[in-house]
Amino acid sequence: MKKKVLSLILAALTMLAFTGCAAKPAAETAPQKTDGEKIRIALVLPATVDDMAWGQSMVEGLKAVQKSMGEDKVEVAISEKLGNAVDAGAAIRQYATQGYEIIFAHGSQYQSVLNDIAKDFPKTTFAYGTGFATQPNIFAYDPQAQEGGYLLGILAAKMTKSGVVGIVGPVESGDAVKYNYGVQQGVAKGKADVQTRIAYTGSFNDIVGAGNLAKTQMSAGADIITGSSQQAVGAVRAIGETKGNYWLSTDMDQSSIAPDHVLASQVYHWEKVVNKIIDLRKQGTLGGQHLTLTLADGTIEFKYNEKLADKVPAEVKAAVETAKQEIISGKLKVELPKK
Amino acid sequence: MEGFMSIDIFIIILATGVRLATPFLLAALGEMFVQRSGVYNLGVEGIMMMGAFAGFFATLQQGSPLLGIIVSLAIGALMGLIMAFVSVTFKAEQGISGIGLYMFGWGLSGLLFRLYVGGVTSIDGLKPIAIPMLSDIPLIGQVLFNHNVLVYTAFLLVPLSGIVLYKTSWGLNIRAVGNKPEAADTLGVSVVKIRYQCLIVGGMLAALAGAFLTIGQANMYADNITAGRGFIAIALVYFGRWSPWGILLGSLLFSMADSFQSMVQVLGINFPYELAVILPYMVTIIALAISYGRVWAPAALGKPFERGTRG
Repeated sequence: MKKKVLSLILAALTMLAFTGCAAKPAAETAPQKTDGEKIRIALVLPATVDDMAWGQSMVEGLKAVQKSMGEDKVEVAISEKLGNAVDAGAAIRQYATQGYEIIFAHGSQYQSVLNDIAKDFPKTTFAYGTGFATQPNIFAYDPQAQEGGYLLGILAAKMTKSGVVGIVGPVESGDAVKYNYGVQQGVAKGKADVQTRIAYTGSFNDIVGAGNLAKTQMSAGADIITGSSQQAVGAVRAIGETKGNYWLSTDMDQSSIAPDHVLASQVYHWEKVVNKIIDLRKQGTLGGQHLTLTLADGTIEFKYNEKLADKVPAEVKAAVETAKQEIISGKLKVELPKK
Repeated sequence: MEGFMSIDIFIIILATGVRLATPFLLAALGEMFVQRSGVYNLGVEGIMMMGAFAGFFATLQQGSPLLGIIVSLAIGALMGLIMAFVSVTFKAEQGISGIGLYMFGWGLSGLLFRLYVGGVTSIDGLKPIAIPMLSDIPLIGQVLFNHNVLVYTAFLLVPLSGIVLYKTSWGLNIRAVGNKPEAADTLGVSVVKIRYQCLIVGGMLAALAGAFLTIGQANMYADNITAGRGFIAIALVYFGRWSPWGILLGSLLFSMADSFQSMVQVLGINFPYELAVILPYMVTIIALAISYGRVWAPAALGKPFERGTRG
């Protein structure tokens, strides 16, 4: 009797398992039938889709494109945690083989790997950044991080009480160098005797290290801190535990991590960049262009944290706004480090 | 620059160094027991990640960091048990199975985080506890007696591990099993049992080291939160010559150098940052290189025990 019951249960379970299997592929293949003029976009990320920084800002850009063009018109595939360029290369090649038309390799470290792969897939469009070197089918995108950095620097200089602005940097390269240089110039412009102190963790994703470096910055006197890359969330959190210190975020609005401590943000809007690449491809341009993100074209936004907006005096806001308009009109050009 | 060597700065460097040493101490002391019993577990990093996630998740759910610690210890024990099952019972090649455990821990912790949390989420972690009287002592008070409970635990575990290893019969058994397993076996000491116990203790301490990162430092979780600290801990076991005091020395040397280089960078002292960030590694390697001499290791380290063969 017991055996019978057991075999019945087993049979039922097997059936369940089979129906489960059968249902799944049907659901997965269904949307592909509507394939008309669908654009297939792949994204390779060094960290995660929800890193509250570099990676997530791009994911949100792609989602916005998908939403505006229609879910059935744009397919987006994402591979994350591919900080190692060799592993990323394998994923990029696979996407190209599967017929994805536009492949974003979202990091400056992917440049050489893309150069290798792009030759084998001349009809596929590749894009990477931060960078400027292109190939006939490779776009390079390049946020002018120094522009927002400059504005945040002015804000920092005018808001600091200790006279020290701290930067928790990842690795001295690419986006971070430009951003930090912008902040430095902004601080110098904002108030002459305020110091900017730059320190690096030597990693992009060591959030514990970034948190510790932020603590060291604060203990040595900095009361306004900023820094780029995905590890920055660790620093934001460390500042969120203190009183009277502020964080300025870049890449994304990070105020949700520490609503009472994130004063303002430089936000990248990738949607326009993605749209531009799609349009260029439709017109037959597969690559070869260096696409910048700037305050002027709206791909970079300077944004206050609404919750703390009343903490920033009107004259400070005015100074930031003036600089912003000067950058947009081209009257002011934020310098880049000479190397 | 001016006042760099001021006493305040000096205290900050030392206090930060003590805090930074904690995860290395916890994980390395655990790995010391494992290696003393003749097994090396390269999966420490993966166990740390699981411990980091478990501690974070329990704290997030229940609002109690203490519960986070308990849950992470349990997960660590389980991870140690898995390693013991593979490397002791099935006698798998230890290096490979350790790396496998590392990848398993990394993948699983990331997956669980994505499934059950997703996105950057903050928790209220452990708060520093100033020890009455002691924390009022000038200098030493700030450096040593104003930390959270896991920092104290890690440092107390140093003498405790020494006592366990050298003064108890269990410690004697561990050392025997790691050096001459066949002799220990003849005397009725179960090699398998001791190695299981050590891997479980090692797993618990590694998980605690991970939990320290999430509930004692970052107060959040992110993928790959350990960022290589587990592997540094394994290196510190070799540096410390498998002794608790040696491990304490190595952990402090590494962490103090790290704390010092951060301050050098922050104060804008003219020093290339690339050299600054590798300073802890350099100092540790140099110290290891010039202090060689009595190079001793558990004789049966890495060798699966087969009854009736000579190790």
